[in-house]
Amino acid sequence: MSTNSENIAVNDSELAVLLRGDTAPIQLWTRQPTLRRLLLNTMVIIGGAGIYGAAMGWWRAPEQALFAAIKFPVIVLLTTIGNAVLNAMLAPLLGLNITFRQSLSAVLMSFTVAAAILAAFSPLAAFVVWNSPPMTPETVETLTYNFVKLVHVAAIAFAGTAGNVRLYQLLVEIGGTRRVASRVLFAWLAVNLFLGSQLSWILRPFIGAPGLPVAFIRKAALHGNFYENVFQTVQEILNK
Amino acid sequence: MSENNPTSGVPPQLPPPPSEDGRPLGDDPAERVAILSTTGAIEAMLRQPRRVLFQLRQPAAGQLIGAMLGVAVVCGLIYGVVVGSFSGHAQWWAAPIKISVGLMASALVCLPSLYIFACLSGSQARLSEMFGLLAGLLMLMTLLLLGFAPVAWLFSQSTESVAGMAALHLIFWCVATVFALRFLKAGYSRFHARSSAGLHVWIIIFLLVMLQMTTALRPIVGTADSFLPKEKKFFLGHWMDSIENKAEARVPGR
Repeated sequence: MSTNSENIAVNDSELAVLLRGDTAPIQLWTRQPTLRRLLLNTMVIIGGAGIYGAAMGWWRAPEQALFAAIKFPVIVLLTTIGNAVLNAMLAPLLGLNITFRQSLSAVLMSFTVAAAILAAFSPLAAFVVWNSPPMTPETVETLTYNFVKLVHVAAIAFAGTAGNVRLYQLLVEIGGTRRVASRVLFAWLAVNLFLGSQLSWILRPFIGAPGLPVAFIRKAALHGNFYENVFQTVQEILNK
Repeated sequence: MSENNPTSGVPPQLPPPPSEDGRPLGDDPAERVAILSTTGAIEAMLRQPRRVLFQLRQPAAGQLIGAMLGVAVVCGLIYGVVVGSFSGHAQWWAAPIKISVGLMASALVCLPSLYIFACLSGSQARLSEMFGLLAGLLMLMTLLLLGFAPVAWLFSQSTESVAGMAALHLIFWCVATVFALRFLKAGYSRFHARSSAGLHVWIIIFLLVMLQMTTALRPIVGTADSFLPKEKKFFLGHWMDSIENKAEARVPGR
């Protein structure tokens, strides 16, 4: 195999190849991961998720925009690194014989796709925030607050789905069967969601709340966890 | 694969597909003639859109894109003067600025997502080519608005209703946008996209952004104390408030 894939400078055509899901070159990049490509994917994640994080936090305050711009990429990268060994072990156990570097490369590429999409949506998110009344305790009670939250949820959900669709296509290409690709994808999704949701809980807030001060993380960040909170919320709903 | 071929890891560019009538772009020699002037760009957009689409895919398309954006700005300013003539005073200069800046800002906000949707659909288009299509869309939209300008001016001079004039300008904008989006779709279809669903979603987003921009930059037809509004509203809320205010004004005895 030629080493010329290492010589291709990242330009929009390489990112476009990832976004289009051209499986042949992507499979080549996954089977022969290089440090240069891993670093470049990381840069796209930091830039793309960072700029979207800024758009999310801007509604509360410029400081919140800066904090969210730092935290959003940190969550993505910590999730990837935190689960790297586990993902690499799950893949061969589920029938996909790839190495640690290859599994890390595949997961990073799917997050790169998602981050690029978020970067493209960040002007739209910023436009929605620019058109919204300032975040006050009264605004939080209105349709506007729910609408802004929904916009962010929709954008992040779309980006995540697109990233995972590309990952699934890559796994099918590497593994040869849809069954193996599905098993590995669901396993990776489950562990990434499990760790990612708790990291998001610890590193909250991202949008912020008008009644609480602007802060990088809450003082009670390490008290409780995401799933406890969900469980308590469900209990409260059922007890009403 | 050759070690001297730096792009061997990237799939080769596919030749452009045939157009809807079966002919590939550039098949007609007239389409391959470069567009060198602003008037040439206007003529080509109206009479030879395939020539514009072909030239946008050539390496030296920057000049054409610049000309199209220049035409869009100028036509937007002229139409803005007609819009501003309804209220006069500050709107003589505020309306043209708001319309031109608003159109450009809407396009800039939506350009990255257009490129993303194109890539996700499997399109081979580069970002610069998408930018060119968007510039063409803006030029065609504003050219058509300029065509409606005499009609708009006549109604401006013979009507006192702000809401009525706003609705009329909205109708003209809708017609212009339909033709402009037709140009965009024709260009988009030549980039090997597997599906046009992404483009349709983007069109909805683009229309919503433009509609919201008219509210964000209000007033454009009426008058106000400040250049920009002090209160933030979404466009549907603004329209409902305008309709309610007009209904209250019509109540007998008020």
